[in-house]
Amino acid sequence: MAIRVLPTTTVNRIAAGEVIERPASAVKELVENAIDAGARKIEVAMNDGGRTFIAVTDDGYGMNREDLSLAIERHATSKLDSEDLLQIETLGFRGEALPSIASVSRMTVTSRAIDSREAWSIVVEAGEARDTEPAALATGTRVEVRDLFYATPARLKFLKSARSEIQFARDVVSRLAMARSDVGFGLISDGRALVRLDRGGDDMLDPRLARLSAVMGKDFADNSLAIDATREEARLTGYIGLPTLNRATARAQYLFVNGRPVRDRLLLGAVRGAYADVLARDRNPLVALFLDLPPSEVDVNVHPTKAEVRFRDAAMIRALIVGSLRRALADAGHLASTSVGSTMLDAFRPHDMPEKSGPAETLGSMGRSVTQPSYVNPHPQPEHTDAMINPNSLGEELSEPSARDISEYPEANEYPLGAARGQVHGTYIISQTRDGLVIVDQHAAHERLVYERMKSALEQTGVARQGLLIPEVVELSEGGPEHLLARADDLAKLGLIIEPFGPGAVVVREVPALLGEIDIQGLIRDLADDLEEIGEAFGLQESLFHVCATLACHGSVRAGRNLTVPEMNALLRDMETTARSGQCNHGRPTYVELRLADIERLFGRR
Amino acid sequence: MKLTIEREVLLKSLAHVQSVVERRTTIPILSNVRLDASDGRLRLTATDMNLTVAESVCASVLQAGATTTPAHMLHEIVRKLPEGGEVAFEPTEQVDRIVLRCGDGIFSLSCLPVEDFPADFNAELAHRFTIPAADLRRLIDKTRFAISHEETRYYLNGIYLHPVIEPKPLLRSVATDGHRLAQVDVSLPNGADSIPGVIVHRKAVTEIRKLIDDFDGEIACSLSDTMARLCFDSVNVTTKLIDGKFPDYGRVIPAANDKIMEFDGHGFMNVVDRVSTLATDRTRSVKLSLAPGELEVSAISPESGSASEKLPVLYDSDAMQIGFNARYLLELAGQLDGERISLAMNDAASPSIMRDPDDNHALFVLMPMRV
Repeated sequence: MAIRVLPTTTVNRIAAGEVIERPASAVKELVENAIDAGARKIEVAMNDGGRTFIAVTDDGYGMNREDLSLAIERHATSKLDSEDLLQIETLGFRGEALPSIASVSRMTVTSRAIDSREAWSIVVEAGEARDTEPAALATGTRVEVRDLFYATPARLKFLKSARSEIQFARDVVSRLAMARSDVGFGLISDGRALVRLDRGGDDMLDPRLARLSAVMGKDFADNSLAIDATREEARLTGYIGLPTLNRATARAQYLFVNGRPVRDRLLLGAVRGAYADVLARDRNPLVALFLDLPPSEVDVNVHPTKAEVRFRDAAMIRALIVGSLRRALADAGHLASTSVGSTMLDAFRPHDMPEKSGPAETLGSMGRSVTQPSYVNPHPQPEHTDAMINPNSLGEELSEPSARDISEYPEANEYPLGAARGQVHGTYIISQTRDGLVIVDQHAAHERLVYERMKSALEQTGVARQGLLIPEVVELSEGGPEHLLARADDLAKLGLIIEPFGPGAVVVREVPALLGEIDIQGLIRDLADDLEEIGEAFGLQESLFHVCATLACHGSVRAGRNLTVPEMNALLRDMETTARSGQCNHGRPTYVELRLADIERLFGRR
Repeated sequence: MKLTIEREVLLKSLAHVQSVVERRTTIPILSNVRLDASDGRLRLTATDMNLTVAESVCASVLQAGATTTPAHMLHEIVRKLPEGGEVAFEPTEQVDRIVLRCGDGIFSLSCLPVEDFPADFNAELAHRFTIPAADLRRLIDKTRFAISHEETRYYLNGIYLHPVIEPKPLLRSVATDGHRLAQVDVSLPNGADSIPGVIVHRKAVTEIRKLIDDFDGEIACSLSDTMARLCFDSVNVTTKLIDGKFPDYGRVIPAANDKIMEFDGHGFMNVVDRVSTLATDRTRSVKLSLAPGELEVSAISPESGSASEKLPVLYDSDAMQIGFNARYLLELAGQLDGERISLAMNDAASPSIMRDPDDNHALFVLMPMRV
């Protein structure tokens, strides 16, 4: 068959196959365009999962008549000034979105430029454009896409149910909304508002945190640590969840590079690395991280939908993320997520409660409807009410019975974890804090303390290495030896001495003595895989720490051992000053906190 | 099958064979011991498919026959029977039951057909020789501690037995786990000069050692590339050999270690044991600091503190420091029977050799540890 140049419509459909995978991809391209156009408010409407109708309306700069007809041409864009792909500051730049969508659907673009008094619209059907026509619209642009994929029936068949397609679109809008808290977003599906995020700005809280908590849930806002770190020209900001707030999947990890949502293996790997020490391998933290760096330091032109990026100095980026997250987690010390406490509160709730209302309402209404008529004096005594309102007098009242303890430990109320009041079931320490009470799992807490001590001892003295009488040669797959040898110095610090051994193999001369007799082949292969995939030799450190953890478990106070009050207080003080003591080695909490307000709610006093 | 047998005789022989039987197996019949009765003898056989131990004992057989029954269960029962009792086995109406009687006790045990029991390894093996039990004990005792437990290097999971002709005909056993190595020789038995080098698995080594513990005579050995058999008394042990190549261990034994220290073994072990108390972590590393005439053993732990103790030694080379795993040092030194120990070193990174200066036929190589 003779070779011929493909017609433009076919080329556009091929390109559309890459860029426009499903309705959500069209939504993503259009919303990104709207953000790039400086919109303050973006509305997305979809019908039937986006199959029959998608409309994206913004209040951005808009386009005039000439631009409008150009915009639907392939590789036509206003976003790339010169030919310099190294200076990309907008979300889009390929000039592919509109023509790609247009080539597989019936599209109408209506726009009014900011300096113009009239609006124009253009209709494109399966890539064939008609003439522009006058239209009516406020400043901004509205893109309507009807019958997506009607021109590529094969793709149409592979769409999932309307429900899941909407879910994808919702995810796309949420991600973009997280990156831009200064823009309002709305998503309406078949007339129902699924996403309604107003512009932040006048919010008292950090507008970004408000936006993040609107998307990721209130738990996240309450249990996150702020990150702000700079290395060279790269700046990392955002929020990371406490280890005790964790999920089974990595879905709630949102990463943005220069405002662009990405799912990059390097970044996800770095996050995992930062949490490796405080979470079990199968649990995932919640994070929302924003990496900003000069456009010349990052290549976003790697992936058609820009989900992956490439960094000029990947090692520096990894170090920035791992370093700043670890520091934040270590500084957080003993914090455990309050969601643990609320889970406990839920467990306390009497069973006959209506399930739907939240704990606060339920408890409040119980106080009124059940308790009041039967138990409460209809004419409450004034002094009693005073005591309830005035937190100081209440504190005194509560403290009185245990005055002896307080005089023994006068400083107790000044500490975050409070003063130990006693031990129950030989396992849990009950401690009174300034505004609540804390229950500590003594074994989990002490285990973590011993473990942290062992780790710092290990860092001080270095890892002892056992020489191998018979050096072990490990054959590796393509690239494996290079990855390992490039990090040979880091591995040596962890007690593993490797040297090159011809092409495709390394020879192991010394191993960490702590590991005893180990499967060297397996260890080296796992390390090579780790390095190749996520750029960190987690495996080795994990095995070392695992040994420490096992030893820590045996070397710590067991459940069932009776502790004296000074012992309990010493444990609490240690927890306050030790990094990462809020969770055990598997991300389970070492303590839970009940606030006085929560306790009062339990008794219907609030 | 119908017979009676003295409880003590049966118990001793059951104790021998039952330890071969794994506690958990996927093939039910491997949990069983095979009992064959004929011509005034009861023969007990147990196997894990790799190692088979058979022993025959005197019994008054009233009716010849064979069956299999759970080994650990039978052993437990016989162990709890009154001393000096007479045990009787009797067939029952049911094919899958056998009755054991002792005094007034009646135990009905489940049986599996003897045809399903893995065939006895009776194949003729090419090489035959006899070795004194004491020699075999020496070959095992001084090397088994160094056998590797790491399953991926399966060829190190046993002791390597092979003849050495030059400079002197010897039968040598070697074991290593990659951190240390043990090499022990005995004089070469007649007929063993052409045997292949074989690797005997740790489990077989353990079982054989138990069986020859109180035996003092000649053991008839026969072996091929893949199997070895030992016959003594009325016991017959057959084991498959590890199918692998033992590394060229000669390369790792240094020939030019010239810093030689000689010291009193007992005192040294006490010092190392005391000082290493301070090395609380699992690595238990101790440092040997050598100066002419004096050795200082020290250990340091960031948590607990430090310890050191000096002892007089014969040493006249340059001062040096070298680290070792205390557990390895103690285990190695424990293998030496003489009063004196010599340790030949090169530097802190290469292997050292420990031996008894009066025994040229055992040497131990130890890789140092680096902190």
